[in-house]
Amino acid sequence: MSVNRRTFLQGAAGAIGLAVAQGALSKIVYAQGAAGTLRVAIAKPAGNLDPQSHYAIWAIQDLMFEPLVKYGKGGQIEPCLATDWKIEDGGKTLHLTLRQGVTFQDGTKFDAASCKWNLERWMGLDQFSWMNCSKHFQSLEVIDDHNITLHFKEPVLALMQELSYTRPTRFLSPKSVGADGKFKDPVGTGPWRQISADDTQSVFEHHEGYWGQLPSYERLEAKVIPDARSRVAALRAGEIDLIGGFWIAPLTPEEGKQLEGAGFNVVVDPGNVTLVMAFNPDRAEALRDAQVRKAISIGIDRAAISKVLYHGYAKPAGNMFSGALPYAGTQYDAPVRDTAAASALLEKAGWTGSPIRSKDGKPLTLELVVSPDAVPGSRVIAEVIQSEMKEIGIDLVIRSVDHASKHTDMLEQKYDLGFFLTYGAPYDPFGSIVALCLSTFKNDVEGKLVTDPVNLDPLINAATAASGDQIQPTIQKVYDWLRDNDAIAPLVYVPSIWAHSKRLHGFTSPITEYDMPYDNILLDE
Amino acid sequence: MIHFISKRLKHSLVLLFMASVVCFTLVVSAPGNVAVLIAELRGAVATPGYVEQVEEEIGLNKPLLMRYVDWLGDAVRGDFGISYRTGQDVSADLANRMLVTGILIAGSAVIATLISLALGFLGAFWPYKLPDRVSRGLALLGASTPTFFVGALMIYAFSVTFQLLPSFGFDGPKSWILPWLTIAVLPAAVLSRVVRVGLEEAMTSPFVLTAKSKGLGRTAILFREALPNITPIFINALGTQVGLMTATAIIVEPLFAWQGVGDYFLAGVRFRDFMVVQACLLIFLTFFIVVNLIVDLAVLLTDPRIRRQWS
Repeated sequence: MSVNRRTFLQGAAGAIGLAVAQGALSKIVYAQGAAGTLRVAIAKPAGNLDPQSHYAIWAIQDLMFEPLVKYGKGGQIEPCLATDWKIEDGGKTLHLTLRQGVTFQDGTKFDAASCKWNLERWMGLDQFSWMNCSKHFQSLEVIDDHNITLHFKEPVLALMQELSYTRPTRFLSPKSVGADGKFKDPVGTGPWRQISADDTQSVFEHHEGYWGQLPSYERLEAKVIPDARSRVAALRAGEIDLIGGFWIAPLTPEEGKQLEGAGFNVVVDPGNVTLVMAFNPDRAEALRDAQVRKAISIGIDRAAISKVLYHGYAKPAGNMFSGALPYAGTQYDAPVRDTAAASALLEKAGWTGSPIRSKDGKPLTLELVVSPDAVPGSRVIAEVIQSEMKEIGIDLVIRSVDHASKHTDMLEQKYDLGFFLTYGAPYDPFGSIVALCLSTFKNDVEGKLVTDPVNLDPLINAATAASGDQIQPTIQKVYDWLRDNDAIAPLVYVPSIWAHSKRLHGFTSPITEYDMPYDNILLDE
Repeated sequence: MIHFISKRLKHSLVLLFMASVVCFTLVVSAPGNVAVLIAELRGAVATPGYVEQVEEEIGLNKPLLMRYVDWLGDAVRGDFGISYRTGQDVSADLANRMLVTGILIAGSAVIATLISLALGFLGAFWPYKLPDRVSRGLALLGASTPTFFVGALMIYAFSVTFQLLPSFGFDGPKSWILPWLTIAVLPAAVLSRVVRVGLEEAMTSPFVLTAKSKGLGRTAILFREALPNITPIFINALGTQVGLMTATAIIVEPLFAWQGVGDYFLAGVRFRDFMVVQACLLIFLTFFIVVNLIVDLAVLLTDPRIRRQWS
């Protein structure tokens, strides 16, 4: 066949026509698929949804499984499957009144028997002894169909907070396990029931017998998109409606800014996780001097980091916890960068000379260990701090490691300076205070942010033993000690960033990073 | 021929054994402790000694040689163990994912072959003229553009701007086009030069002069005389490119949210999931060895000179 001008033009016109028809068709297909369906991006498959296992995405479990109480704004504990509760005997007894008229998605009744069956799957077991209520669990008493009492060996710190966690505390239908008692299907009491799940997506529809108010849209699809750039592209292409959440499908400040520029709705919550710099005086002798620690702290330009690296989405931190958390203590402003004061402090501490200060012939060189896998964006933050430290005569060496090595290095204290993230709601403040700062608590995962068995441990022990009105003043003493000794350098409150399409209205950020923010959302038809 | 195949199979088995040793050694010699990551994944705060418990549970406290023998014995039986990250059976996960990666590589290989033949012939048909320069320029551009960038451009053009094709997902042929094209660009560029240069060389051979003297036109000579002559070289180059596509799949699969072996490997590496990384590496290397074996056989069938050598 020979190609002449006519056949070429016919072929080209045909190809263009085909492309236009295909485009129109695909837009219709997208529109049809979207009606009444909220399409959320998730960075990895939802995983094994057993509420007592640890593999799933928290927010997906949150769609189906409910707790006894919910963690509300500002740490307010709100009723969920329990309508009322009473703590007695100095915190060693908990009476719970269970909600009536609740059924699991398979029709099984939620009552004291199913509640007992669920609680006994994890309470008191070694595997869950990281939770105080499990560690101190003694017995469970069924009073009647809708009342139970839990007895503990010792008063349980932050008991109701723990009962609001996503796992292992949430409730599974007793019929959704196999003959061996092992988890079989994800059946809870929540507003969404799982229709299908594989490595590409998880699909949910309304649980029609739900006791509360159901979302206005009928279907929720969680689409697996591992690559961050692809998630942004999918939102821009109209193939998904919502991206965000540290544990769901993280959105970086740059991506948020790009989407904002492209006309998408970007919702930023100040967040309740703090990026903190740790000092390791056991390895770096210079850091034993509080003046050196203070010099480093005030040598860092938190405002610039927030404005430039976080594109204004983050707030500079002056405290270990943000005011969004309960018992966060007196909120101080973040230190303002003052190179003159920092230099003066270093001079006073005996570190002199230029361009790198030294003392007794030893240069002031410190190693900052970063892991961008564990703390997103930490490498760039480290580079900014490196240049700021140089201005005050400190030679900062950055060592970048992967996630696994970071854990090992932190545990073995192979760092002079390091970054930590606090756990955030609902675990904090006690979660981070105990796990990261109490020397007697063996945290085999994160390592320690700061420890002082002589001075800090008694303050933490007093705070964790306090109850009622005594909690605030006792935990304030912990914060005061950290501040007075410049024991840590809080840098920024890490923001929670979400972006959504224009067809989605009423979106509000979730209270914790472990929840799926499906409430309040309205979708355009 | 049978002698050739049995010799190549023996070599392949030795290579596979060596590959298994390399896979195992590489993975276990990486710094950091996976037990810590597992403990972190299983709870916000690990209990005292929990990391040790995890180490015992996954056999990290056994001697290295014993771990290797255990792993190899299970792998030979098709049991790659349980993923530390998901708690799921690695063999079952791989079985699902191999089909995805297979479709990705097969489709890309076909597209790369078609594009490269088209560009190569274009250049050979009008040597040193505009079509040749254009095809050479396209080949240079294709060979020097990183795959992730090609993918991002494809998504931006066809999904975000024109909304013609889905930007992610493995949902039928429409969703396969962009990943296929993304992977095919680089091999197509390389192969087009192989075709172009091969054809040019073939066209200077004495048999072409004979064909011309018989009155055959340039098109007929290119297709009937020159093409069969470059087939062995092309198959060799295609085999290498198909093998390399497994590496490109590691970049392209997560980009298009395809749950293939490449995506599985990357997730495994990030988490230091030994079982997954070892299994994927072994599969990649086996694939490479098998592709090479097929290429050798194909060359044997298409090149009478090699057939004669082994007969």
